[in-house]
Amino acid sequence: MLKMKNISKVFRTEVVETHALREFNLHVQEGDFVSVTGPSGSGKTTFLNIAGLLETYSSGRYLLDGKDVSNLNDTARSKLRNEKIGFIFQSFNLIPDLNLFDNVDVPLRYRGFNKTERKERIEHSLALVGLSNRMKHLPAQLSGGQQQRVAIARALAGEPRFLLADEPTGNLDSKMAFSVMELLQEINSKGTTIVMVTHDPELAQQAKRNIYVRDGKVSELTDNSGSSEYQEVVNG
Amino acid sequence: MLGTLEMGPIIRSLTRNKTGAVLIALQIAVTMAIVLNAVFIIGERNDLIARVSGVDEANSFQISSTGFASDFNHMQTLEQDLLDIRAIPGVVAVTTINAIPTSGSGWSMSLQTESGENKTDVGTAVYMVDQNGIEALSVELIAGSNFSENEIRYRDGNQEGWPQNIIITKALANDMFPELDYAEVVGKTVYINYTEPMQIIGIIDQLQAPWIGWNKLENAMLSPEHIASGDFSRYFVRTEPGMRDDIMLQVEELLAKRANERLVEGLRSFEEVRERSYSRHEAMIQILFVVMITLVSITGKGIVGLASFNVNRRRKQIGTRRALGASKAQIIRYFMVENFLITTFGIVLGMAMTMGLNMTLVSVFELGRMNLMYLPLGAICFWLLGQLAVFGPAIKAASTPPALATRTV
Repeated sequence: MLKMKNISKVFRTEVVETHALREFNLHVQEGDFVSVTGPSGSGKTTFLNIAGLLETYSSGRYLLDGKDVSNLNDTARSKLRNEKIGFIFQSFNLIPDLNLFDNVDVPLRYRGFNKTERKERIEHSLALVGLSNRMKHLPAQLSGGQQQRVAIARALAGEPRFLLADEPTGNLDSKMAFSVMELLQEINSKGTTIVMVTHDPELAQQAKRNIYVRDGKVSELTDNSGSSEYQEVVNG
Repeated sequence: MLGTLEMGPIIRSLTRNKTGAVLIALQIAVTMAIVLNAVFIIGERNDLIARVSGVDEANSFQISSTGFASDFNHMQTLEQDLLDIRAIPGVVAVTTINAIPTSGSGWSMSLQTESGENKTDVGTAVYMVDQNGIEALSVELIAGSNFSENEIRYRDGNQEGWPQNIIITKALANDMFPELDYAEVVGKTVYINYTEPMQIIGIIDQLQAPWIGWNKLENAMLSPEHIASGDFSRYFVRTEPGMRDDIMLQVEELLAKRANERLVEGLRSFEEVRERSYSRHEAMIQILFVVMITLVSITGKGIVGLASFNVNRRRKQIGTRRALGASKAQIIRYFMVENFLITTFGIVLGMAMTMGLNMTLVSVFELGRMNLMYLPLGAICFWLLGQLAVFGPAIKAASTPPALATRTV
């Protein structure tokens, strides 16, 4: 599903060169649920941005769903992002002026679905996260946990193969965090691949696998599921 | 297609954040109302200025002489002046004249087709000229004949009675005899001062009256007279093309040779006369133009300002949209569509305000009623203005990196 080989990312200013990722290798298989942990500044967010095609990389090779994304232009990257990847952000990133229906509708419009199909998908995905009765509400009228559920609905509406979650429970209390985590596991159980960046070791353990990033590299891999594919994940 | 334009969400979003959008829409509406009415007024003024006087404007000038010496012989001076001016190489024709077309000052009378009081009359400007008047004014005699030299009379300012023959403009002929072709008007008798008969011996194509605001501007008649009032005479001279300015100086020098007997003044090209007459219109056009440019520029900057503010305020949102799959073109389109909707609201409001302002101008200042075609043309211009103004901020918005979505600060 996601295969990174020797990915490096260097941020350059006039005086400083920062290596955010160095020779980063990772292979995430279809249906996997991988958590990414590591200290602040270790390169987790850079990895997430590159994995989600939000940022380009300096060198290496990245295959997303078998497609080499190295030479894609901005429009092609946007299209691929829209079709293949669902995003869940720490601070939900819902559009405050739009109600839940319109928020979930945002990526579907970019996808070019017709009105009927969009409506079906929105209603289905909001029902999936238990918010079908609040479609006309604005994000500000919901709790943090509910807002994150809307963000999950938005990420799922386009039926992506791959879900990227950036600290999805970072702004939630433990009860809500647990509920969101349950939802993510349920989604994963239906076959969607998930990569989740988190600071929380407890949450990380709930994923099938955990990678620990330090100094821009994968330094440890933990298999929480006892899968035999462990070595392949380690070695890429 | 409409789905990708995001019209619905944009409208719903605007209704939840109306203040900025409503203010810009109002600004567009007010600007549109003022600008369209200004354009209309400028158009009307330009039409006035563009009217043809009938005179060879580029090659004509006037000069006047007022005798003050006790033994000043006006008639003799006038005849000699005409001879001397005519003798200057490059002079095509010269005539005495009592008033200058479009100058603002002149003589008007009423003509009737029937004798007697309480009959229908038609107003006309009166130009007292000699047999060279037609050539000097460069008007075309399209029917009938010119005055003969021996029918030109000297008219004392207080003298009563009018010459037997007159020449009139085609417009005046049509005004007095609407049922006849202008050529058939030659030979007709008309009455001045209710009962004094005059015969129309010729029709000229066009000659404007002195008063540019008069609704009978094209009504003029030529009367075969040298006005000889108060030792004053005015000469109207037509020159060969390109020689006017030289001849103006020569004529002034010629008349000034007898400066101890008379005052020579009023040397003015016809173009200058016309320019002075229309100066208020020109000034009005310039003022309106400045007002228009200022308003349009302020409105354009207002749109840029609002759009820039929205881009800066929504950077995180734009980054999120980009992360969710919006291409740069889709982000640009979002802002263009948003601006189009705000502008459209302003334009609809502006159309009503434009007509309201025009009706006020019609009733208070007696301006003409605006052609409704101004509204769609204005709408197109303001849509374009809006789209141009928002394009820069939209480009800036599109350059927002999608990675901004994952930044928490």
